This record gives sequence, structure tokens and C-alpha cells, in this order.
Amino acid sequence: MTTTTAPSTAQIARLGIVPRRKKAFLNRTWVRIALPVLVLAVIIGIVQVMSATGMLNPITFPAPFDIAAAFVDLIQRGDFWHATWITLQETLFGFAIGAGAGLLIGALTGTFKTFLVAIYPFIVAFQNTPRVALAPVFLTWFGFGMTSKVVMAAVICFFPVVINVVAGIAGVDDNAKTLFRSLGATKSQTFFRLTMPSAAAVSFAGVKTALTLALLGAIVAEFVGASEGLGVLIKELSFQLEVAMSFAVVIFLALIGLALYGLIELIEKKLITWARP
Amino acid sequence: MTLTETRPVALGEAISIQSLQKSYETATGVLPVLHDINFDIPAGQFVALVGPSGCGKSTLLKIIAGLVGYEAGSVTVGATAPREGRRDIGFMLQQSVLMPWLDVSSNIELPFVITKQAGRRSKERVSELLELVGLNDAASMNAWELSGGMQQRVALARALALDPGVMLMDEPFSALDEFKREHLNIEVAQMADDLGKTTILVTHSISEAVLMADRVIALGAHPGRVVGDIIVDLARPRRADMVSSARFQEISNEVRNALALALDLNGAAA
Repeated sequence: MTTTTAPSTAQIARLGIVPRRKKAFLNRTWVRIALPVLVLAVIIGIVQVMSATGMLNPITFPAPFDIAAAFVDLIQRGDFWHATWITLQETLFGFAIGAGAGLLIGALTGTFKTFLVAIYPFIVAFQNTPRVALAPVFLTWFGFGMTSKVVMAAVICFFPVVINVVAGIAGVDDNAKTLFRSLGATKSQTFFRLTMPSAAAVSFAGVKTALTLALLGAIVAEFVGASEGLGVLIKELSFQLEVAMSFAVVIFLALIGLALYGLIELIEKKLITWARP
Repeated sequence: MTLTETRPVALGEAISIQSLQKSYETATGVLPVLHDINFDIPAGQFVALVGPSGCGKSTLLKIIAGLVGYEAGSVTVGATAPREGRRDIGFMLQQSVLMPWLDVSSNIELPFVITKQAGRRSKERVSELLELVGLNDAASMNAWELSGGMQQRVALARALALDPGVMLMDEPFSALDEFKREHLNIEVAQMADDLGKTTILVTHSISEAVLMADRVIALGAHPGRVVGDIIVDLARPRRADMVSSARFQEISNEVRNALALALDLNGAAA
């Protein structure tokens, strides 16, 4: 009969066997899911207890279970889905226009020094201006319809894209540029075969931020003046003291934000395949 | 590394540098970098440029590659002046500079893509080069999956892709550990010999220069100038154990003395 035993530390050292390193506790998949869920459960539990014991006013600060019940009611309302569709359109159109323009202007600014000198100071100045302050102006210019919301979303997500594209292009390795020069690459070859892929990862970080900001821009613009959309719905529900349902809309907006972020991350993984796992 | 190059060896191109002057504009004024550089390199010779930091050896290499201009003098590679994108010059940098979005094969094929020659012939050439640098099994690997030594082999294959007559190498293995570096030095010296390329290697290391080259040109600093031109008459092919031979030590000392004398003269002038 043969018996097998685990090799001792001395045997491992002698044979040169490298024992498989255990994954750090916080890097385990189940831990990375369970830990935030636990934190959320604790917060919900605390708020629920505070509501049940009368420490929180249920009219202004509804209990989590009431918000959950309101959420179930909300998703059965037809006007809710119509408002969602409106806000989504404003967000996605605004994002497409803002991020598209940001990529183009960023590429021009990063590539041509004339653009950098002439335009970049304005971009930095606008980046540091609270752009939501423009929402009333856009309302005056473009009216209560969808256009003013799309413009707000576009403006708010334009700047992070430009800034990141310019930074990405500035970060292209000088040695790689020297190599392309030594090979006699044309300007367009250098741009498409070196600059664009080199700057892609940093640029995409800006695009991801922009998508989240586009949703913010659309909602803020709806608060300022609109006839439909989730921002309008939140405002109406708050005026009617339907605070639980207002919270439910906010939670739904968070879910939309998460879904959009997940989608853009998926696209990033498909496009930038050379990033290390 | 296996050498499978079956084409007849055609000697590379001769290089001539006469009365070369180069300076850089700095915030404090004009800084002379290279002063009255004169030397000729016959076709097929392997020359090492050795010298301390700031002696302008990398600048000199970039001038020969046509990447940097100069104020006075003349430089010819083959029959013509240097310019960017000459297909008869292969350039290898200190870093491997591999494109992470391309696999190993595509990195080696890059010069063909840039010069619009990609096709069946370039694929065949990439296969030859992969065999030449011993990376047949790594063709479809990503750049970041390779060790530092493997990355430099890919860079070497890419520099050789268009079969240039002249190879310019700027401290190509300085980032590698001593063992890998010595191993690759011997391989590159052998390869340059077999392929008949005119080769210029820039290095800080005297022993690396003597081990690989047919001739060592020593440069003094501030400004860079030729302070020694020493023929290395060690037998070929070069072997790692030659570093302990008496002749190797003699030649190394000759280079060291030339550089030390230049340092003393600089010190005295200061």
C-alpha cells in the first residue's frame, strides 16, 4: 500500500517546486461581491430600524422597505417608462454628440500645436467652470423640448473626453515616435498606427466618465425646465411628497448609470484588446 | 539562435563622416555636442562607439540615421546623405518599443506595413526572421507576454526586416541583466558577421564594445570628439570566454586609456 503525503517545506525547497500561491482574501471573487452587499445590507438594516423606531420621519425619509414597495409600483406606471425613454434619448444623443466632438477636437488639439496653443486654454477654463450653470441659458436658447437637454448633456460630457484625448496623445512614447520616423512613416500612418492605439486607453477613460456625466446633464436640464423625463418625474413626486417614489426613481437612475457604465466597459474590453488582464 | 539566412551575403554600405559639428540650443546658450568628428567605416565593418554619458554618441547615431540634423561637415551612408525612412538603415533603440496592440509577427512586419510592402513576401520574411532570432514559437504572443530579452529579439528582427545594409544600435541590451546581455551580444556579433551588415553599436561598456566589434571608436565628452580609434583583431566568431584572453584585456586597456586621457585633459582644461 502506498500513502501520499503533502511535500514538506524542505522537500519543496529541494525539488524547486513552486507552491501555487493562494489568492489574497480580498481578491477572491465571492469576497468582492459579498463585501459590498454586506455593507449595503447593514446600511439598509440601520435605516430600516431607525424608521421603525421613529428616529426618522417617514414622510421626509421613507423606510427602505417602503422605497422597495414604491419601486414595484413605479415600474408598473406607463408614464415612468415614457419618462425613462425620454431621459435615455437625451443622455445618449448628448453623449454621442459631446463625446464625438470631444474625440475630434481632442485629436486635433493633441496632434496640431496650433490647435493646442489656440484652443486648449479655453478648454481648460471651461473644464473648471460649473457647466450645469449653463442649463437656464440653454433653456432660453433651445426651449423646453429635448434639444436643450441634449445640448446640456453634450456640453457636460465634451470636456473630459477632450482633456483625456489630449493627455493620451501627449503620453505617446517618444521612442515609438522615433522608431516611426526612422521607418519613414507619414503623418497619417503615425496617427493611425501609433498615436490612436497608444492614446486609446486614456481616451476611453474620458469617454466612460462622459457617459455618466451625460445622464447627470440630462437630469439637471430637466430639473431646470422640461415637460417630461425622469428629472421632471422626480420633481413632481417630491412636490406631491411622494418621497419614497422619488427615491425609487433615483435608485432606478443609479441602475441606468451602472448599466451604461457596464456597457461602455464591455465595449472598451472589445476595442482595447491589448490591455493586460 | 539559428542562422538560416541563405541569401548570398552582400556587404552593407560604407559610412563616411567628415568634420561633423553639432550643437544644441539650451536655455543658457549654445551647447556644442559633437566637435570635428572624422571617421570612415568600410562596408561590412562592425564599429562600436564607446564613451561616457554626454559624449554625443546617441546623437551621432541619430545623425547617421537622418533623425537629427547637424550644422557643419558631411555625413554619407552609401553614396547619399542620411534622411528619415531610408530602407537601407535598420535602427534599434535601447527600449524594444514594441506595439502592445500587435502580436510578435505583426511587430516584426511593421516596417513592411509602413513602407507599403506588406503581403505574402513580408509574411515569409517574418517567418525567416522569427527563426533567425529563435522566436518561432512566440509568433502570435503579445508583446507584454515576452521577457525583456525576447522583446529585444523582436526589436532586432524588426530592425532587420527590410534587410538593411546598415544596422544602427543604440545600447540595445543595456536594460537586460548581465547574463542575457552577454548571450545576446555574442549572437548579434555572429549575426552581423554572417549577414555582412555595416553595424554601429553605441555602448557605455568597454568590454561589450571589444567583444562585439571589429573596431572601437572612443568618444570624449564636452564636446563629443574622437579620442581613440582602436582595431579589435580578435578572431571571429567571437566567444564569451575571449573576455579573459590577454589580447582582449590589452585592447580593453587601450580603449580605457584613451577615454581616461580624454577625461584627464577635460579635467586639466576645467
